[in-house]
Amino acid sequence: MRNLMAVMLGLLMLSACQSSAPGPGSTEALIARGKELFFNETFNGNGRTCGTCHPEENNFTIDPAFIATLPNDDPLFVAEFNPDLRENFENPRLMREFGLIKENLDGFDDLPNKFVMRGVPHTLALRTSIDSPLGPRTGWSGDGAPGDGSLRAFASGAVIQHFTKTLNRVAGVDFRLPTDEELDALEAFQLSLGRAQELTLPLPLKGTVPKRGQEIFLDNSLGKCNICHVNAGANASLGGRNLGNANFNTGVEALPDQPARLTGERVPRDDGFGTPGDGTFNIPPLVEAADSGPFFHNNAIETIEGAVAFYDGEAFNNSPSGRFLAGLDPNGVGIELDGTQIVAVAAFLRVLNALENIRQSMAFLDSSAQIGFFQRQQSQALLERAREETDDGITVLSGARLHPAAVAHLQAARRLTENAISSFFSRRSFAQQAIREQERARAELVE
Amino acid sequence: MLKLFKGVVVAITLLWGLLPVYGQKAAEIFIPVGQSPGLSGKYTSIGKITAIDVREQTIAVADSAGSDTVKITERTQIWLDKSKLKLTNQKGAFADFRKELLVEVKYEDNQRQDKRAAWIKVQITEGVK
Repeated sequence: MRNLMAVMLGLLMLSACQSSAPGPGSTEALIARGKELFFNETFNGNGRTCGTCHPEENNFTIDPAFIATLPNDDPLFVAEFNPDLRENFENPRLMREFGLIKENLDGFDDLPNKFVMRGVPHTLALRTSIDSPLGPRTGWSGDGAPGDGSLRAFASGAVIQHFTKTLNRVAGVDFRLPTDEELDALEAFQLSLGRAQELTLPLPLKGTVPKRGQEIFLDNSLGKCNICHVNAGANASLGGRNLGNANFNTGVEALPDQPARLTGERVPRDDGFGTPGDGTFNIPPLVEAADSGPFFHNNAIETIEGAVAFYDGEAFNNSPSGRFLAGLDPNGVGIELDGTQIVAVAAFLRVLNALENIRQSMAFLDSSAQIGFFQRQQSQALLERAREETDDGITVLSGARLHPAAVAHLQAARRLTENAISSFFSRRSFAQQAIREQERARAELVE
Repeated sequence: MLKLFKGVVVAITLLWGLLPVYGQKAAEIFIPVGQSPGLSGKYTSIGKITAIDVREQTIAVADSAGSDTVKITERTQIWLDKSKLKLTNQKGAFADFRKELLVEVKYEDNQRQDKRAAWIKVQITEGVK
């Protein structure tokens, strides 16, 4: 009896430790509402949600490996089982093989011929990657949103393009448009994802090859990467002026042997920003790149090394952007890197990505440790996010055999996170141990 | 070369001051009158057509703030909003304007100084075109 009372008293004390729910009207409440909408609201459409193409467990993007794990009745494949969407809505082969989605950015008046096939950009670090002096830049070419072109308006365009029950696309029949309150919440949620601030390069990196990669990245006469990806972000700088999330024609569309086109399926040329397009696409952030491929708007390149190597090729160096860089170079060179240099820049990007994975994992672990005993489900969700980020960190480093000691610490952190997920009483303790392993992993990567 | 570089930077900077914010127009056609996110009620004018001048290619629109003469140019996109009829919205033309029809006008210039329309949505509530 005394034991039972002790347990009851303990539970009561633990319940007092529960974190309070965000108050109505607070930013946290708006973000929580946005998250609910993002993953669950179908807007009376074909069953898709924002999370269908931007799943949290896959860095808010989809790729062929992730797609292969989905059941055939997943709403992503709605064109395969909804007769009204069988034609001219998606290309199931290109979706499954290359993660490509159909977009009618230049209009819906000639569906069989007027479309582009694009990958799904992740929605991380949007707070750092949308603003430009020309206005907000959303999607791959900066013109993804109707209305005022903002991230807030983006959801309305996405519902019209991707959520419709039929190709008639009648508001109130085939879908409902998000309300103002829903747009506010969706925007708040998306802006809460990932990094909220730019890095400040150079970082005091430890590894020899990533360190050299950083030097090349920052060298405006060699890698020239930092001109358009300042601090490995999504903003450009010319002559000391911040151009924000600018658009450039880098010649991706001129790449030979683009995987989707090799299939023989119809893949029209993507003309980028505007209608008709000007051939430009906006800058994606690089910190999150290594674990969110394939790369470029058309998923043309599978690996981060291949993506870096693109800038050494003819498609880039013959493009308007390549020629512009060559015009600034005393030797008339655009970007010319050798194999070791390409690998070094990619290694640098892998390390940056792993550091971001560690940062996010620690934040999730820390948040889970703050949550009270009875909010177990909420805590587990955070721990699972920490595990996914840890997995990504392991993958991006081990994918290039970088920093094996850091990988070992991340693996230990993963085991401890697993323990935290399954433990009834020691969740907090395991989470704190996992944080320490994450810290050790980070110490292997950076001074 | 440095001059060229500086010239490009200056040109880009100047252009940024002049160009309007870009909203994607492909999906805009399917958004009913009054529901364009970030534009309706803020940068658009919603009212009834009170006059049509074919020769001048203008329409007069009376909204709560008064009457405005709107210039239709070759760049202006005209859309027929048939969502109240549960029909697909369509591209329209100047000939679709009728007095008393409700329209929403987005001007090229958000300050509405030049009165040229970027797009006009015409709400169709009866009959099938």
